[in-house]
Amino acid sequence: MDVLSGLAHGFSVALQLNNLGWCFLGCFLGTVVGILPGLGPAATIAMLIPLTLKMDPASGIIMLAGIYYGAKYGGSTTSILLNIPGESSSVATCIDGYQMARKGRAGAALGIAAIASFIAGTFGVVALSLMAPPVAAFALSFNSQEYFALMVLGLALVVLLSGESLLKGLLALLVGLWLASIGTDLFSAQARFIFGQSELLGGLDFTVVAIGVFAIAEVMASIEDGEESQILPVPKGILNLLPNWQELKACRFAFFNGSVVGFILGVLPGAGATIASFVSYGLEKAVSRHPEKFGTGVPEGVAAPEGANNADTGGALVPLLTLGIPNGASTAIMLSALVLWGVRPGPMMIQESPTVFWGLVASMYIGNAMLIILNLPLVPLFAQILRLPVHMLFPLIFGVSMVGVYAATGNVFNLGLLSLFGLLGFVMRKLKFPATPLLLGFVLGDSMEQALRQSLMMSQGDPLTFVERPMSAIMLALAVIILISPLLGRLNRARLRAITENG
Amino acid sequence: MSKRTLLAAMFAAIGAFAATTAQAEFKPSGPIDFVVHGGPGSGNDVTARTLATIIEAEKLAPVRVQVVNKPGGGSTSAANYIYSKKGDNQVIGLYTNIWLTDPLVQEAATHRLVTDMTPIARLTMEPALIVVRADSPIKSMQDFIKMAKEKPGQMKESGGSITSRENVVRQIIQKATGAHWAFISFPSGGRRLAALLGGHVDMMILEPSEASEQVRGGKLRIIASVSEKRLPGFGDVPTLKDSGLPGDDVVQARGVVGTPGMSADAVAYYTDLLRRTTQTKEWKKYLDENSFGGDFLGPKETKEFLTTYEGKIRNTLKEAGLKVVR
Amino acid sequence: MEALPIKNALRSGDFISGVVLTALGIFIIVESSGWGYSSPDGPGPAFFPFWYGVGMIVLSLALIGSTLLRPTFNAGKPIDWPMTGRALGTWAAFALSIALMAPLGFIISFTLFTFLFVLIIFRQPVLTAALTAMFCTLGFEIIFPWALGLQLPVGIFGF
Repeated sequence: MDVLSGLAHGFSVALQLNNLGWCFLGCFLGTVVGILPGLGPAATIAMLIPLTLKMDPASGIIMLAGIYYGAKYGGSTTSILLNIPGESSSVATCIDGYQMARKGRAGAALGIAAIASFIAGTFGVVALSLMAPPVAAFALSFNSQEYFALMVLGLALVVLLSGESLLKGLLALLVGLWLASIGTDLFSAQARFIFGQSELLGGLDFTVVAIGVFAIAEVMASIEDGEESQILPVPKGILNLLPNWQELKACRFAFFNGSVVGFILGVLPGAGATIASFVSYGLEKAVSRHPEKFGTGVPEGVAAPEGANNADTGGALVPLLTLGIPNGASTAIMLSALVLWGVRPGPMMIQESPTVFWGLVASMYIGNAMLIILNLPLVPLFAQILRLPVHMLFPLIFGVSMVGVYAATGNVFNLGLLSLFGLLGFVMRKLKFPATPLLLGFVLGDSMEQALRQSLMMSQGDPLTFVERPMSAIMLALAVIILISPLLGRLNRARLRAITENG
Repeated sequence: MSKRTLLAAMFAAIGAFAATTAQAEFKPSGPIDFVVHGGPGSGNDVTARTLATIIEAEKLAPVRVQVVNKPGGGSTSAANYIYSKKGDNQVIGLYTNIWLTDPLVQEAATHRLVTDMTPIARLTMEPALIVVRADSPIKSMQDFIKMAKEKPGQMKESGGSITSRENVVRQIIQKATGAHWAFISFPSGGRRLAALLGGHVDMMILEPSEASEQVRGGKLRIIASVSEKRLPGFGDVPTLKDSGLPGDDVVQARGVVGTPGMSADAVAYYTDLLRRTTQTKEWKKYLDENSFGGDFLGPKETKEFLTTYEGKIRNTLKEAGLKVVR
Repeated sequence: MEALPIKNALRSGDFISGVVLTALGIFIIVESSGWGYSSPDGPGPAFFPFWYGVGMIVLSLALIGSTLLRPTFNAGKPIDWPMTGRALGTWAAFALSIALMAPLGFIISFTLFTFLFVLIIFRQPVLTAALTAMFCTLGFEIIFPWALGLQLPVGIFGF
């Protein structure tokens, strides 16, 4: 069945009234789940599986998938309004999103997040419809060497995310790598840096670190600056609560960037939405004409990561549906749901279960449309949260942080860690150490080390394996170029100075 | 009333009271907490929820069974939690192999399943399949062993952590045959399978439910099964024993454990509840779909089984060169 | 261009953080030395920590060096202790409320924390502080345990 007839068949399934209803329910639930920190789409999907057992497989997967990609729409809400990432893939959105909110452009930020999510989400589905099998083959060709090179390239972005001091950015990155090593080593079962605490055997939870270093530290900084008496500006009038034409124009490349980066990284089973959002953010900053403005509240700093984490869902469904390989917790559960319904994701799925496959794909077009219709009108409503007096908003931030962490981890030990990371984040701000490289190092550290050791195990210790394989060689070369570029800039300025002094 | 009559009456009353309490059966006084060591949506979480759903649907218990997630540190958070609920009759946990292996190799995982908790039942023994790519020249385990001996250390297997079942099987076979091949750990099942399908590793050991679709699609070939008998639906796949190799008893065991100091009545109650659950149609369907096997074992047999199994794993890991601390 | 007097440099944040990070780097290398740098199968668990530990030491020594040698044009604002003290005090109250969460439960400790927070830091009247505290806690209790079934910490009093 070729693409067009498949899609036609799929739309005939997805447009049935009951499936439209399930799609809407899934998208709605997903949005709510994405907004609440601590509750993730994986958990929600798992809890709803028993209810869907009696349903038609197409209807069931339409609803569950709606939760999955719907959550990516909601995740930006608390990131922008409260600086608390609703999902781990929404952390990069906090960086510029919250700053936009502080400048009074919260509505614009939320609107741009929704629009970017829609564009990139639709791109992801289009790519899924058209290119699923060849893209799947590409995903399989990626081995640990390529993953390692990709992680190094991601880390090279630290050069761009460090703000004033590259030295401090690199140090923050190294601390992030250290934090990532805390836990049990996969290859040797060696417990590393756990300080005798059995709760740390599983490693640090990303939400704990991110919320501590971002949200808690930010609140402390505001208190220190005496801002507790100021009210955050909330513009009046519906037009001011949505992005203006200028902001949308600034995001043109970001929409494209987020879509492509998100989809490609979504397809790779070893990458993830969090990595995709950081890479997309870094790329956007790299090609920007005003990179120094990133971090102060630029709309493209919201559009790029938000787009990336949505396009990632389309990408992640490629290996799931065409190969039966899940990419993360949510896709793993959808896999077990599909198996429970008797649909078998794998090489034969498109031929054997075209109704489910194409019905799902078609429903994602519809779902993305539903989500933008659902989310955009809610933007002015959510922006009103910032009207709350600061003496209510800050306790809310503390409360949401605590409840989110407790809901995600289930113990009070992690709340203690949250407070420690809050203090760390505050101290870092005082000492002008940038927080983003720390988080980047933390996110990439494990994957990078594993990829490195896997590669060396597979090549029996031969380090040339990284340059013998073309893809990894290219990515490593790019990383080196990025890392050297500030030095080249400095050399250039010194050369120009020498010329003008002598001339 | 004379003093003697009074005493007699007292003794009679005490006797009657003691008799009734001895006959009193345990009844759960509220929702039962079913502790799982994974987050919502993980494999164990789904198993626990399946059990809970069956119990509710068939009305096998007068109260709800609610799944409590205690992820972190493999099994450690869940094990610590169960230990902390000493004597609580309302808390049970779902154990798998790592509840046995974690305390063996981790200093910080202080609570052993067999000694610090109350084993209640063993529910499933889960087999595994040894697979290679369909276009590989390897047609049987003997082929694989031969190639591994010709190129020591160059053949590659993808799997989970070094204490996982796949590696234990590998260690046992390596010891028996003298062959040696590399074990490459990947944290996620998706990556392991992708590594095999992409041609980056030569072989992997995985669960029947993960493998069946790939086999049907013509991408993978099964060369042996890690199970005591040939698996239904895979009748022409030899077991390890058929191939002349040890290791077919390294199964993934899953079962239920109670808190330390749980009362004997409560243990009997849960044993009976679980036995009845495993006799339902839905449970049998669940077993079939996943190719799970294993007879239901009660508390005493489960404890014996786990003790022996723990000892076997301990020896294998020690011989593999891992530091065993308990 | 004079270098900042050594005494001031020694007290600057950059110098102290350089020292702390050097110490961390040394700790990492020492701690990981027992784990095995490499094994016959490939790099061991100490491989990666060793290298980022070395990186940390090198870079933090560079930081110390640059503080001592380069003139610092913006030594940064001196710490405004009263204001910073309020931020740190808030943090201490937050940490304390977490420490009390196990014995006292979420409801009591969060209400207490919010009440004191609003009263002292925001200098709101007692009634406002009390109402804010109760409203926030109620909101969380409704959404999470009641509506979503996600338990919040429960103390020895049973709630």
